[in-house]
Amino acid sequence: MTERYSFSLTTFSPSGKLVQIEYALAAVSAGAPSVGIKALNGVVLATEKKQKSILYDDQSIHKIDYITKNIGMVYSGMGPDYRVLLTRARKLAQTYYLTYQEQIPTAQLVQRVATVMQEFTQSGGVRPFGVSLLVAGWDEDEERPYLYQCDPSGAYFAWKATAMGKNHINGKTFLEKRYSEKLELEDAVHTSILTLKESFEGQMTEDNIEIGICNQDGFRRLAPSEIKDYLASVS
Amino acid sequence: MSILDYNGAAIMAMKGKDCVAIAADRRFGVQAQTVSMDFDKIFEMGPHLYIGLPGLATDVQTVSQRLNFRLKMYELRENRKIKPKTFMSMVSNLLYERRFGPYFVEPVIAGLDPKTFQPFIASMDLIGCPMITDDFVVSGTCSEQMYGMCESLWEPNLEPEDLFETISQALMNAFDRDAVSGWGAVVYIIEKDKVTKRLLKTRMD
Amino acid sequence: MASTVAVELPHGGFSFDNCKRNALLEDKGFKAPKAYKTGTTIAGIIFKDGVVLGADTRATEDTVVADKNCEKIHYISSNIYCCGAGTAADTEMTTQMIASKLELHRLETSRKPRVCTANRLLKQMLYRYHGYISAALVLGGVDSTGPHLYSVWPHGSTDKLPYVTMGSGSLAAMAVFEDRFKPEMEREEAMKLVQDAIRAGIFNDLGSGSNVDLCIITKDKTDYLRTYQEANLKGVRQGTYRYKRGTSAVLKTEVKKIVLEVIDTQVKPQAMDTD
Repeated sequence: MTERYSFSLTTFSPSGKLVQIEYALAAVSAGAPSVGIKALNGVVLATEKKQKSILYDDQSIHKIDYITKNIGMVYSGMGPDYRVLLTRARKLAQTYYLTYQEQIPTAQLVQRVATVMQEFTQSGGVRPFGVSLLVAGWDEDEERPYLYQCDPSGAYFAWKATAMGKNHINGKTFLEKRYSEKLELEDAVHTSILTLKESFEGQMTEDNIEIGICNQDGFRRLAPSEIKDYLASVS
Repeated sequence: MSILDYNGAAIMAMKGKDCVAIAADRRFGVQAQTVSMDFDKIFEMGPHLYIGLPGLATDVQTVSQRLNFRLKMYELRENRKIKPKTFMSMVSNLLYERRFGPYFVEPVIAGLDPKTFQPFIASMDLIGCPMITDDFVVSGTCSEQMYGMCESLWEPNLEPEDLFETISQALMNAFDRDAVSGWGAVVYIIEKDKVTKRLLKTRMD
Repeated sequence: MASTVAVELPHGGFSFDNCKRNALLEDKGFKAPKAYKTGTTIAGIIFKDGVVLGADTRATEDTVVADKNCEKIHYISSNIYCCGAGTAADTEMTTQMIASKLELHRLETSRKPRVCTANRLLKQMLYRYHGYISAALVLGGVDSTGPHLYSVWPHGSTDKLPYVTMGSGSLAAMAVFEDRFKPEMEREEAMKLVQDAIRAGIFNDLGSGSNVDLCIITKDKTDYLRTYQEANLKGVRQGTYRYKRGTSAVLKTEVKKIVLEVIDTQVKPQAMDTD
């Protein structure tokens, strides 16, 4: 049945589903976990990047990336698909800046990236992206942080805190218990590490997780040494 | 003869204390023949934001409509009021897109920031080179006269009432020495809580 | 592909819609108006630790001074700046576009951009338009390979030199450089030399005027000194030409009240009225 309605990747099945989107979400759920938490004075993004071999050079390729100086992004799912979206997101941000001479607000960026993701559920000859994104941003105008999630379908959500990827249900349950409206950024970093720890197999080190923070100074990926300090204070 | 002189126009904007003013003449002519005396050259782009478009009348209206379209799309998409500076970039882009086949307008923008109510004035050439100043901007067929009047009459921190007299006199005395502009004038004083629009009694020759 | 569906994105590039009409008007003897020119004296030199860029601040519209204090040193990246001469809109937009491209390049490569990259992007863009984009630029910056200074011409040719000038005041400025430039100058000495070169332009070239802007770029610091020297002060007005309120005859007044949006409401506790 499924196969019959997969002849074009973006065609509805008789039950009204776009099965390709569900497969894409399955790819996300099988991907490495990532966590995002919004605090009063900033946002934190954290993700697991465990490698299969000790020969891997873990500080050369990053999962958390900049889009503008105020906005950063992380993913769960397929790395190569993420890079396509990252490049598009940066271009969209630059186009916006050239048009208005103003940094793109996080909400606008997310909306536009989501539009790109939606297009890949309706166009011919393409497949949906196998990633969900977490976008963290600081809005200079409103002087407040934002955290958004963007799904392969093109749906997007604003979160106080969320988890994606493998074990995201446990992650969310953990966050529901731990989250407080009065969280400061420092505490949010701790909470994000603890959330990752819930499902982490083996020893967590500064080399197998990545953390990005966003506050009024902009977005920043933490250096391994900083992550090491956080890890020490958590355990 | 420059195509900017075809219909005639004189527009200026000035900064005051927590307020801005923008003023224009009302004549629409075809070269030496006056056709109407109630032609709008200043357009409302928001509660605190106005743009004056001197130049070829057909382009004045086309540009104002195109700007209106882009502005409404922006405000619907972003669900917020545009800042004057952002609006200036929008105008600048519209004009520079036509770098090699321009619209014959030289816009003047005046407004207050929708949040901070900071006064803002700017002007632009016909291909969208923005120019932000702290005192006054002028544009139109008698720009030289207007520059002269503004340089001598303008002073910083004018109250709304004084700003009105200053801009009115600067404009009227400038366009009285220009054959293709004048025939009535309109002045907008933009303040935080209100906009006052006044029609002036001027020479009608 | 994807762009055929739903959303309408702004398509880049120039629009030539008005060209035919404008050419027709031109044929009938209606001249196209002049755009703002920078007129301009811009200059740059390499000194011991980096690069000094300088510019005047006058913009002209034909023979009228359109802007007495415009900004001619444009941002390219934190370690690269660019002075612009020629049609003001072209220099403004060209540098903005290149700055944007270079920012994307910086994000993709995670490296500080190099001056030669900026130079190549600029010349490729200008060459594509065969000189119709009239931007004459002085590009300077410091990167991992040291300080670099380029002059970029509207047709897309570039020179890499230790001291350059551009714009209508370039001859005046170059005369100063030819007289006093020497390699490996100290920072203060270099700043003085560029300042004097720009002043030569301001006082000898009619297209240049007002103030001196400087930008000093070294390995780990960039100092953008806007209005480094106010070379021409406006006299202080002794009297006032202020008109009495009520001078201008008003035919009609309309007042439009602006109802402000409520952004925040505060409820203050009040004592109960017990009398």
